[in-house]
Amino acid sequence: MRSREHWTPGKWKRYLRRYWMLYAMLVPGLIYLIVFKYTPMYGVLMAFKDYNGIDKLGEAPWVGLANFERLFTTRAFRRALSNNIIISVAKLLCGFPMPVILALLIDTVSHRGLRKLTQTVVILPSFISWVVIYGLLYAVLSPNVGVVQALLEFFGYQGKIPDILATKETFRTVIVASYVWKEAGPATVVYLAAITGIDQQLYEAAAIDGAGFWRQLWHITLSGLRTTIITLFIIRVGSIMYAGFDQIYAMSNDAVISVADIIDTYVYRIGLTQRNFSLATAAGLFQSAIGMILVMITNYISKKIEPDSGLF
Amino acid sequence: MAIVKPKKKRCGDMVTGIFINFLLIVVIFVSLYPFWHVVMYSLSDSRAAMSGGLFLWPRQFTLLTYKLMFETTRIFVAFRNSIAKTVIGTIISVVVTVLVAYPLSREELRGRKMIQFLFYFTMLFSGGIIPTYMLIKDLELLDTFWVYVIPGAVNVYNMFILRSAFLMIPRSLPESAMLDGANPIQILCYIILPLSRATIATITLYYVQGNWNSYMDGVLYVNDSKLELLQVYMRRLISQAGAAAALNEAKNLSAASMVTEESTKMTVIAFSIIPVIIVYMFLQKYFMKGVTIGAVKG
Repeated sequence: MRSREHWTPGKWKRYLRRYWMLYAMLVPGLIYLIVFKYTPMYGVLMAFKDYNGIDKLGEAPWVGLANFERLFTTRAFRRALSNNIIISVAKLLCGFPMPVILALLIDTVSHRGLRKLTQTVVILPSFISWVVIYGLLYAVLSPNVGVVQALLEFFGYQGKIPDILATKETFRTVIVASYVWKEAGPATVVYLAAITGIDQQLYEAAAIDGAGFWRQLWHITLSGLRTTIITLFIIRVGSIMYAGFDQIYAMSNDAVISVADIIDTYVYRIGLTQRNFSLATAAGLFQSAIGMILVMITNYISKKIEPDSGLF
Repeated sequence: MAIVKPKKKRCGDMVTGIFINFLLIVVIFVSLYPFWHVVMYSLSDSRAAMSGGLFLWPRQFTLLTYKLMFETTRIFVAFRNSIAKTVIGTIISVVVTVLVAYPLSREELRGRKMIQFLFYFTMLFSGGIIPTYMLIKDLELLDTFWVYVIPGAVNVYNMFILRSAFLMIPRSLPESAMLDGANPIQILCYIILPLSRATIATITLYYVQGNWNSYMDGVLYVNDSKLELLQVYMRRLISQAGAAAALNEAKNLSAASMVTEESTKMTVIAFSIIPVIIVYMFLQKYFMKGVTIGAVKG
């Protein structure tokens, strides 16, 4: 390592004369980082103060953990927290196996055109914004002109289906299903790439030893995907505190707020609409902190199971 | 994707094979149909479309709704804003990202580990919505165009993808160029960038997609209707009152009475997805590549 050497001022001078451009290149990025990423981290002090949004933050009185105490006694926050966890966990449980299944299905098909087409097509929805997806859902599910209604009528159903985009009982299902529909594609492609990386000789050897299709699938394909599965799983678990602000904000309406209000929408509402900055910041800080701890824990566990996985 | 001659045992009998092919066709249909539906609906006569149901082709083909939409000005304002955000935002983002990723890929850079950690940490922890909003308010960026392109300029994840692509380039190349007297900027422009064109294309595509689809910055930081983004405009239109207002805004009222709110909504959605799908068709190769390199740790 160069750092072990003794650096005299003369050496520094020569070093900088040669490499100052590298540091100059970093300047815009570092300014950006400090201003837009680290300054808001100083702003989280609002969570420990009673801040009115007008005076300087430094002058606001400290209140210790009072905002957090208030937060956890607020029914709306507890509701947001539990919605947040329910929606995230449902997304994880339904959304995580789907790409694995899709990748295995695509891999099983020998027709190359069909394989290629499916890959291209499943990834398309992830390219589209949530607002547009909301529009698509509206087109398909609306009781007036939707496809689902017409199909049910075709099969002899008499009544009108409820507007499931505005019904409490069905709204979460729509959130999770549309999430799976939109986001399954990219992970499918990742798994497929990992499958092509598996040594083909393993299959031949297994076939000679008499392993059938299912045994090959289990012992070779799935165990070859292990590292990828674990890595993607960590990413998903680490983001469990984030239930999808864009999606919920774009899709929810007043009729479903009691089942769809998540931490982000709660923070937005009490912070920017009701101007209760300190309380909202406390909620946001709670979310970030738990999120960070979750990433670190899952990363630690996955490294124990599989030394090659893990993000850092 | 590499062409691998399939050697592994395929699922034995014909019936299962056919069943799996059928499943994939269902998957393709489910992924594509909603887009098709909206486009076909938008091209149909409003009255004929009222009965709903499956749209395999337009019913009584007409471009009336498109004509009406184009007579309102707001959609063009929104479209122009989104285009401007995408073009300017992407240029700023790609330039700054390259300028960060390159020095961080050079071992000569002292303090590299620390700077890298500074970037990495922002992926783990963030100040949150309210402190960021306060900052943007203090910087007087609210209700300006710049709020669309500056606060999201660097995506740290993209930066690390690019950095690992730079690290793959054999070190002897920049080293020999250095011996010939090239400075770091020349090395970057003439050696590193041409060699990592595919990854640059991938992160550019990511930035384009992110800018075009971004919605929350339009909601959080901008109230000025002159700066409204297409996504925000669409969301308003899909909601109950929005479509009626847009129809009223159209100058040709007798024609507007021929068009239902449903058709208006479908037309705006179609209008917004057609360019995206065209871009996707041309660049999906890079998108696929980006997805795969994203999963390999840097």
